[in-house]
Amino acid sequence: MSGRGQVSFRDIVKMHGEFAALRGVSFDIKPGEFFALLGPSGSGKSTTLRSLAGLDAPTAGRVFIDDKDVTFTDARDRDIAMVFQSYALYPHMTVAENIAFPLEMAKLPKAKIGPAVQDAARKVKIEHLLDRKPGQLSGGQQQRCALARAIVRKARLFLLDEPLSNLDAKLRLETRAELKKLQRSLGVTAVYVTHDQEEAMTLADRMAVFMAGEIQQVGTPADVFARPNSIDIAGFIGNPPMNLIPAHYADGDVLIAGHRLKTTAAIPGEREVIVGLRPGSLHIAADGLKARVDLIEDLGDTAVLDLDCDGTSIRMRVGDHDVPREGDTICVTARPQDIHLFDPATRKRL
Amino acid sequence: MAPSAIAAAGTGSEAASTDYGDALALRERRFAAALLAPAFLALLATTTFPLMFLIWTSAFRMDLAMPFTNGFVGFENYRVLLSDERFWSSLLVSLVYTGSTVALQVVIGLALALLVMDMKRGQGWFRLIAILPVVLSPAVVGMIWRTFMLAPEFGIVDFLSINAGLGSQNWLGDPVLAMVSVIAIHTWQWTPFAFMVLLASLASLPEDIYEAARLDRASAWQRFRRITLPLLRPAIVMVVIMRTMVALTAFAAIFTVTAGGPGTATEILNLYAYRKSFTELSIGYGAALAVALLIVTIIISGILFALRRAK
Ligand SMILES: Nc1ncnc2c1ncn2[C@@H]1O[C@H](COP(=O)(O)OP(=O)(O)O)[C@@H](O)[C@H]1O
Ligand SMILES: [Mg+2]
Repeated sequence: MSGRGQVSFRDIVKMHGEFAALRGVSFDIKPGEFFALLGPSGSGKSTTLRSLAGLDAPTAGRVFIDDKDVTFTDARDRDIAMVFQSYALYPHMTVAENIAFPLEMAKLPKAKIGPAVQDAARKVKIEHLLDRKPGQLSGGQQQRCALARAIVRKARLFLLDEPLSNLDAKLRLETRAELKKLQRSLGVTAVYVTHDQEEAMTLADRMAVFMAGEIQQVGTPADVFARPNSIDIAGFIGNPPMNLIPAHYADGDVLIAGHRLKTTAAIPGEREVIVGLRPGSLHIAADGLKARVDLIEDLGDTAVLDLDCDGTSIRMRVGDHDVPREGDTICVTARPQDIHLFDPATRKRL
Repeated sequence: MAPSAIAAAGTGSEAASTDYGDALALRERRFAAALLAPAFLALLATTTFPLMFLIWTSAFRMDLAMPFTNGFVGFENYRVLLSDERFWSSLLVSLVYTGSTVALQVVIGLALALLVMDMKRGQGWFRLIAILPVVLSPAVVGMIWRTFMLAPEFGIVDFLSINAGLGSQNWLGDPVLAMVSVIAIHTWQWTPFAFMVLLASLASLPEDIYEAARLDRASAWQRFRRITLPLLRPAIVMVVIMRTMVALTAFAAIFTVTAGGPGTATEILNLYAYRKSFTELSIGYGAALAVALLIVTIIISGILFALRRAK
């Protein structure tokens, strides 16, 4: 199935009156890829997905699927399957009828519909629920029904808008893993919208990070995590996200609360910067930055410390064996390669 | 009794909570009964008692024109009724009138509702104007149609008919046209009701399933057939039931427009019962006709309610 489901977005703008929900969004998705649209609520992820599905027309820009301009093609003719956040099951039809609906619309002969419905239901483990109506299903079962309806027809693109957000935590983790396996086994291109970075990081081959109607970064989850290219992304990715500390930079070193830290930067001269430090990349060292432990959030195997360094608050992640006590003063530092530098004016990575 | 027995056989705490629930339910039922009692008595006095009296009356010969023949006759009135040609023809008129007005109201009301749902603006105005006929008294509607709409040469409908090359028609004098006219009048007045109910029902349908259907490649017609219509079914059935009850017992509009004429062309059963009772003053036979109408109404509503439950 490779070679099918290639997507290109070119400068897509979507206006709602005066308000720009999307302000020039461009990205490419390769066939067979699991591509995530990640961003905070209201950043334009659903709007992007709906433009791709053909449910809403963009105000400007072009959408290409498999090198064909589909910007003004109706949703019906795009050969796309979608799982809605609300599931959007047909309430008057049984699960079996819901799953069969796309096949009936495709005028598949009756003899083929039955087995196809069984097959799709088995893939998402709801064979025993085929005679129920959506109203008689739990949230997780409804979600699976929506999934089955989307995969029963071999569409060239598979869109999912926050499909797991209405499930409880345990079910979300289980379904997440199954979703990935399902996409692999079907070999279909998937576009996955989520505000949950953990979901995006674990599922996606590549992801686009949205902020206020713009894509700030596209890359593999590892890339984005390792080299966030703006302050906004640095403050969004990671749990807890990066510490962002205003500091003074001079010839490769930064000065935080009177303490000098080495970096790998090779920019000559002096300037003001924002230093990014991952909570997990901080470690305790005798010659480090002095900090008082304000609060400890114990997560079982790890703990997050809220530190106060001379008025600057910093969060740090430690393993369960070296948890200090609240009120203690500790010394922390970070390796030069773990220090990220951002320009406070442009908010970009230096 | 059975559920509480089963509950008692369960664990102790379960049984206790069920008992408590039972006691609560009982108290609520008593309270509800106390609240309902006055209304129930009023209903009894205003519906059941007159109904009993009507049935009782139908067992008498009670001719105000010939009082000397009055007296108890048992089922005699009903025997006469079954061989009364005018009864059967008025029943047929009633059924045609009811069937066509209800069908037209639902079809036109649904079409309007679908149209208005797609309107980007002006929905509010449309609703306001559409509701106007409903708030008019049927007698006033009848008068308006007889004078402004259907009067030869001057009426709007006749004027349009002349301009359309169909010539001036005797709208209320010709038996078929008179029937068409009274059906049109009733439809004109009550379609807005169906429209409003169906519009409200349409507006409450979730939008996302239509988007899902588009992605599932359903055409506009398939979306209507497979999604809209089944989901509107309860509302449509409700409209059909309510409008059928009203159409079967319609009176004022027909009475003011044709008074059942020409001849008995638009004489629905209700009108025939009225004429028999209060024009020809055969109270007993009129009562029997009214009871017959009641039975017809009960049978039809029974069928409709059965349809509502089916599937
Ligand atoms: N129909 C609409 N009218 C006005 N604003 C809208 C409409 N749809 C979405 N928006 C706005 O566009 C922005 C992006 O929305 P959306 O794409 O749904 O965000 P999300 O990233 O949470 O999916 C939001 O600020 C939202 O309020
Ligand atoms: Mg969204």
